[in-house]
Amino acid sequence: MRLRLLPAFLLLLATSGHAETSLPGGVQFNGFGSIGLTRSSSRQAAFVRDLGQAKGSRGDWRSETDSLLGLQASWQVNPQLALVAQGISRYRVGNNYNPELMSAFVRYEPDARATLRVGRMPTDFYLFSDSRHIGYSYLTVRPSGDFFGALPFAHFDGTDLQLAHPLGDSLLRGKLYWGYLDEELPLAERRWPLRGSQLSGGNLSLQQGPWTLRLSTTLLHFRHNLPIAEISDNLRQLAPLFPAAGTAAERLEVAGAHSRFHSLGVVYDDGPLQFQAMLSRATHSTSAFQNWQAGYLQVGYRRGTVTPFIGHSWIRSNRRTLESGLPSGVAPAFDLLNAGVASVLADSHSAQQTTTLGLRWDLASQFALKIQYDMIRGKPDSIFPYRDETRAWNGRTQVLSAVLDFIF
Amino acid sequence: MRYLRLLPLLLLLGLPAVRAEMVVVVRADSEISALGKTEVTNIFLGRYRQLASGQLAEPIDLPTGSAEHAAFYDTLLNKTSAEIRAYWARLVFTGRVAPPRTVDSSERLLEQLLINPRAIGYIERSKADRRLRVVFEVSSR
Repeated sequence: MRLRLLPAFLLLLATSGHAETSLPGGVQFNGFGSIGLTRSSSRQAAFVRDLGQAKGSRGDWRSETDSLLGLQASWQVNPQLALVAQGISRYRVGNNYNPELMSAFVRYEPDARATLRVGRMPTDFYLFSDSRHIGYSYLTVRPSGDFFGALPFAHFDGTDLQLAHPLGDSLLRGKLYWGYLDEELPLAERRWPLRGSQLSGGNLSLQQGPWTLRLSTTLLHFRHNLPIAEISDNLRQLAPLFPAAGTAAERLEVAGAHSRFHSLGVVYDDGPLQFQAMLSRATHSTSAFQNWQAGYLQVGYRRGTVTPFIGHSWIRSNRRTLESGLPSGVAPAFDLLNAGVASVLADSHSAQQTTTLGLRWDLASQFALKIQYDMIRGKPDSIFPYRDETRAWNGRTQVLSAVLDFIF
Repeated sequence: MRYLRLLPLLLLLGLPAVRAEMVVVVRADSEISALGKTEVTNIFLGRYRQLASGQLAEPIDLPTGSAEHAAFYDTLLNKTSAEIRAYWARLVFTGRVAPPRTVDSSERLLEQLLINPRAIGYIERSKADRRLRVVFEVSSR
C-alpha cells in the first residue's frame, strides 16, 4: 500500500481553514480532493476507476485508485468575463500523480442566456461526466465504473457555447462543443496518444422542478492508431498473398476512425431524495473497439447528515469478428498473428453488472466521508473495464472503498 | 417570545426546531416585483438570472453554515447546507458558472441591497423594513 500522497493531503487539510481564499484583484483559489482506500477482492484482474489507470487493486488495499487533488484559480474580471484554470493530480497513465491541466479557459457571458468558453475544458459526454473528479459533488465514492469507466477522455481544447431558454416553469438548456483531445491512455505497457483527435457534440436538457432530462451526443475522430503496429504491419506485408489480411489491417486502424457516444439521463432531485437513471450507447467505426451499451440507476435518501444510497449498473458490448485469412496450424508466425488479432478484438469486450450499496456522511463543513460496497458480476470474457487479467479471471469481484472528499 | 423557553425541550424531544421565516427582498424602489418559486430557485442556484420582466437579478448569498442560509435553502428546497455546497462544488469546479456573491452577514446584505436596485437577497422576515420590498415569501410550495 503506497500512501505517498498522504503527507501532502494532510498538509493541505491543516492549512485549508477557509472555503475560499481571495487575493486582492479578485483572484480566488479553491480546491477539491479525495483521500480514498479501495480494495477489490479478486486477484485475477486489476480493478481501476477508469481506463486512464494502468494499475489497480487486485486483492490489496490501494490508495491510488480513488485519491486525487485539484486546485483552481478563478478571476471574475467583470460581470461578463472570467478566467479559470484548474490543475488535477490523480493516478493515471505513467503510473504517477503528475499534475495535469484540466481546464484553462476564458468564460464570456454576454447576457443571462448565453455562455461562451474558449480554452481547455472538461469533457461533457454524459450528464455529470464533467464533474467525475469532484467527489464532494456527488453521493458515491466514484462515478459508476460500468457507465463512466470506459470514458477516459478528461478534457479537450476548443470552445463551447451554452444557451438557456425558459419555457414557462421549465428551463431548456443547450450546449454545443468542438475541439481536440490532448492526452494519452495506457494500453498494456504502451501508450495510445489521443492528441489531435477531434471531438464535437452537444446536449439538450430540460429542467422542471425536481426533474432534469438530458440528451447528449458526441462524435470523436481519432488521429492515432492503437500501439499495435507489429500486428498491423505484419498483416499488411502478407496482403499480397492473403488479401483478407490487408483488409483486417485496415479494419483495425483507429486513425481516421470515428466513435459516437449517445446518452439519455434523467435526474429527480427533491429534498432528501436523489434519483438518477442513465443510458448510453457507443458505436465505433473501427473493428478494434466493440460497440457497447451501458446504463445505471441510483437512488439516495438523506437522513440528517447521512445519505445511504443504492445503485445498479451494467455494460454490455457486441462481439466483432475479423478474418485475417491466414490459415491456422500452418506456420507459428501465422498462429501468432491470428492470436494477436483475436486479442485486440477481445480486449474491448464487456458483459457485466454491478450492484452498489453505500453511504455518504457529511461529517463536517466541507468534508464528506463515504463508504461503498460494489458487487460486480460479469462473464469471464468481460475484460474491457479491467487491467492485467489472468486466465483465471472469472468476471466476478467485490470492491470495498472508503473515501474522504473535501473542498476548500 | 414565550416559545423560546420551550426550544431546549423541543430539541430534547428531537422535534425539528422552529426555523426562522425567510423572505426574499430587493430595494423598495427596485423594478423587480413579485417572484415565483421557480424564478427564485433559478436565480439562487445559478441556473438563470433573467426575470420575466427582462431584468437581470444579481443574487447575494449569505455564508454556507449561517442560520439564514440553512433556513432559506431548507424551506425553499428542503436541502441542507452541505447539499447546497456539494451542488456549487460541481458548478464551480466544472467552470460552468460563478457562484452568487457571498456577504458575511445580514447587515452587509442590507447595505448591498440598498446600494444596488438589481441585488436580491434573503433575510429573516423580522428584519425586512420599509426600505425593502418583499418579492417572495419563502415556502416549500
